[in-house]
Amino acid sequence: MKTLITCTVNGEERTVLADTRDTLLELLRDRLGLTGAKEGCGNGNCGTCTVLIDGAAVCSCLMLAQEAPGHDILTIEGLASGAALHPIQQALVDHGGTQCGFCTPGIVLSAKALLDEVARPTDAQIRHAIAGNLCRCTGYGKIVEAIASAAAALEGR
Amino acid sequence: MAPQAGSTHLIGRRLPRVDARERVTGQAIYPADLNVPGMVHAKLLRSPHAHARILSIDVARARALKGVLAVVTAADFPELPPGTTIPMGETGYDMWMVAGINLARGKVYWVGQPVAGVAGVDVHVAEAALALIEVAYEPLPAVLDIAAAMAPNAPVLYEHVITKGVEPRPRAPSNICSRTVIARGDAAGALERAAATARTRVEVDTAHQGYLEPQAMLAQVDANGFATVWASTQGQFTAELMIARMLGMPQSQLKVVPLEIGGGFGGKIAIHGEAVAVRLAQKCGRPVKLTFTREEVLQGGSGPPAAALIDVAVGAGQDGRLVAIEGTYRIDAGGLPGLSPSLVMQASAALYQTPNLNLQGYDIVTNKPRTEAYRGPVGIQAAFAMEQAMDALSQRLHLDPLELRRRNASVTGSTMPIGTPFPSIGLTTILERVAAHPCWTDPLPAGRLPRGRGFAVGYWRGTSMTSAGHITIAGDGRPMVTMGAIDLSGTRTTMAQVVAEEFGLPLSDIHISTGDTKSVGYSDGAAGSRVARTMTAALVEASRDALAQLSQRAAERLQCRPEDLAYGRGVFRARQAGGPTISLAELMQATLTDGAVVGRGVSTKLPLGVEIGAHVCDVEVDTATGQVTVLRYTAFQDVGLALNPAAVEGQMEGSVVQGLGWALLEGFDYAPDGRLRNASLLDYRMPTALDVPKIECVIIETPVPNVPYGVRGVGEVPIVPPAACVANALARATGVRLTRMPMTPERVLRALNAAGRA
Repeated sequence: MKTLITCTVNGEERTVLADTRDTLLELLRDRLGLTGAKEGCGNGNCGTCTVLIDGAAVCSCLMLAQEAPGHDILTIEGLASGAALHPIQQALVDHGGTQCGFCTPGIVLSAKALLDEVARPTDAQIRHAIAGNLCRCTGYGKIVEAIASAAAALEGR
Repeated sequence: MAPQAGSTHLIGRRLPRVDARERVTGQAIYPADLNVPGMVHAKLLRSPHAHARILSIDVARARALKGVLAVVTAADFPELPPGTTIPMGETGYDMWMVAGINLARGKVYWVGQPVAGVAGVDVHVAEAALALIEVAYEPLPAVLDIAAAMAPNAPVLYEHVITKGVEPRPRAPSNICSRTVIARGDAAGALERAAATARTRVEVDTAHQGYLEPQAMLAQVDANGFATVWASTQGQFTAELMIARMLGMPQSQLKVVPLEIGGGFGGKIAIHGEAVAVRLAQKCGRPVKLTFTREEVLQGGSGPPAAALIDVAVGAGQDGRLVAIEGTYRIDAGGLPGLSPSLVMQASAALYQTPNLNLQGYDIVTNKPRTEAYRGPVGIQAAFAMEQAMDALSQRLHLDPLELRRRNASVTGSTMPIGTPFPSIGLTTILERVAAHPCWTDPLPAGRLPRGRGFAVGYWRGTSMTSAGHITIAGDGRPMVTMGAIDLSGTRTTMAQVVAEEFGLPLSDIHISTGDTKSVGYSDGAAGSRVARTMTAALVEASRDALAQLSQRAAERLQCRPEDLAYGRGVFRARQAGGPTISLAELMQATLTDGAVVGRGVSTKLPLGVEIGAHVCDVEVDTATGQVTVLRYTAFQDVGLALNPAAVEGQMEGSVVQGLGWALLEGFDYAPDGRLRNASLLDYRMPTALDVPKIECVIIETPVPNVPYGVRGVGEVPIVPPAACVANALARATGVRLTRMPMTPERVLRALNAAGRA
């Protein structure tokens, strides 16, 4: 069965037809064409599908599309403003914090949720904030460095 | 020979990836992200049995389900007998084996082996159809580990498998596919007479490469029968050969387009469903997308790295010089034969000089998924045995473990296990650097719990094979690079650096992309730590070829002979004083109607760039819970020359953390019926950011002769020492040696209890 769903994604109101079985991740990827969020496991264990729901980092594979109305959803596609990267994105570029890139959108958004709450996080806080985002390429060190440097850059603004 | 470009000093610079922007913005396209008009979805039916004969498959009910467009089984593919090979490097790839990974025929050999494929209008329909396929199985007794498979009356997987490498040749089939022997001198005798010996038996569980992107592919067949496959693959050409051979299709009717790959680590060399997707697309006339779930990836849908049972014995005289190395390497190939233990046997013993050597390797089949490569395949398992034996030997000799390695280290020219002299290596330099580094000289900080410092070395041979690329010059004079290598973790960036250096241009002037199988010359896959070294050679050649062609055109324009031209930073200049100049942009504009400038390059059988690393770690052991915490970790590696140190560190750090994951957390847990009990990323625990410390990297540069820039392989060897390094630290902290990997808290606690140390 399909139903019409209206929700706010990246600041825009969107109305789409969705299968009642669709997860939010499927809604974003298959119905809205926002493929930045990935499906690495479908069980909420890897964090590659992370999006921000009202500012909180959530695994979109664990939320039904039917639950989306009424929430403000931010995906990786909505983060950069025009050509300018968000400081977290820029820091990941500068510090070599992305390799295969599959985990990267989720990491960026988990980091944003953290930095929105904590302006100058410790390394331990950063590691805790991205503990739900598996990365198999980098060993995390350069990602942690990047997020710390993004925090400094954001504070300097 | 083209004139010299003049260095722009891009080689060796810590530069951001040229393709980082699309990654951090979510614009990088992996196959699961791709949708085309009319696309339908496929699912695979997988075996519920570890070992069974397939008596019949009835697809009629599935085919009749509304929304189902096509169903295929092995009967829809030509039968490929054992020994049907496709070329890949020095060895080739057995297509009978590849076909078995993709679709079972006659028998199933592991839980999760594909049996049929369905295409439906959506995933839900395709999934529902799987339940309607009726397969009659005759279950057979299964063997799930090496010891069971080698037992005298074990159920036999393959009637045609007669152990190779044993004289006289056995008459009866068995699960031992081959025996490999590397020997010189009398190792057994030397061990008996040695002043000190150490013997280790280790058992290593099957694990997984753990790439975050599950296998995904999209196949489209046009009106003329030409097929395009968008794939997540480590090698588009190998994938094309495999797909074509499985389908019995001419290669000219097929193109493989590699999209971004969300991690491979060896697990995406072979195809896993691509040929099935093409056959379904042919049958239903619609583009077909096939995406694995994580459970499929883990539960038999992709090849995990091998389990192993390894014995190592080392002996030395009072002077701490090795007299013998003996090793038996039993490697679990999973449900299809063909995993040669030769490379890992060599790797295991290569770093030490010894007069007596006896290494024996066995390729064993069991009813588990066919294993595939994982970063320095079987290196970590072998080092877990060898480096623990060496550590124990140093304890017996009351010798510093680093000193024991120094006294026995292989050097340039010393004999490798296979009997030939070592090419240029920098092991002694690495050991000197470790000895002087704070990670080794700092005293181990005291803690509330027992702590220990471990040391281990690792070796990986790598391979060379073939790499090709070409460079066309755009109308504005800028080089457009097309290479045959996919980008696993920075290839576009380092190769753009190489071309920029050759042309004397800024990095931003270079456009670089990975070609599909019809737009660039044959290249082997991204495996065996070969791409940076061999593609560098190919693109240096391509750059010089393009510059030579440009130089001809410039000479005509400037009315002089090509040898009277100087070239630097994008400009040709006639050498005479005040000579005229022409930029690449002006030259291309002036000669647009003269046809394309295409510089071509290929490298094949380049000298090896063997990889050597040494690791030091400090661990803390909670004797009440068995939890091992890695406090500090430092990896030293000779990389020949670091084209881009940030990329090199990225490879090293990631590889070490994968090693730590297998060392402490990751292992497949098989039920007695062959079903994987931890087929999710919750139960198959990979390291998170909280589980590992920052990995410190020390880069050492001993260039490889006769290789452009002297580049070595990087990505494989850092995964080799970590398990042994942690085990050695654990032994020094607690006095207990862990011989089962992963060293989970439960196993550590059991070992501590057994030794009365908990």
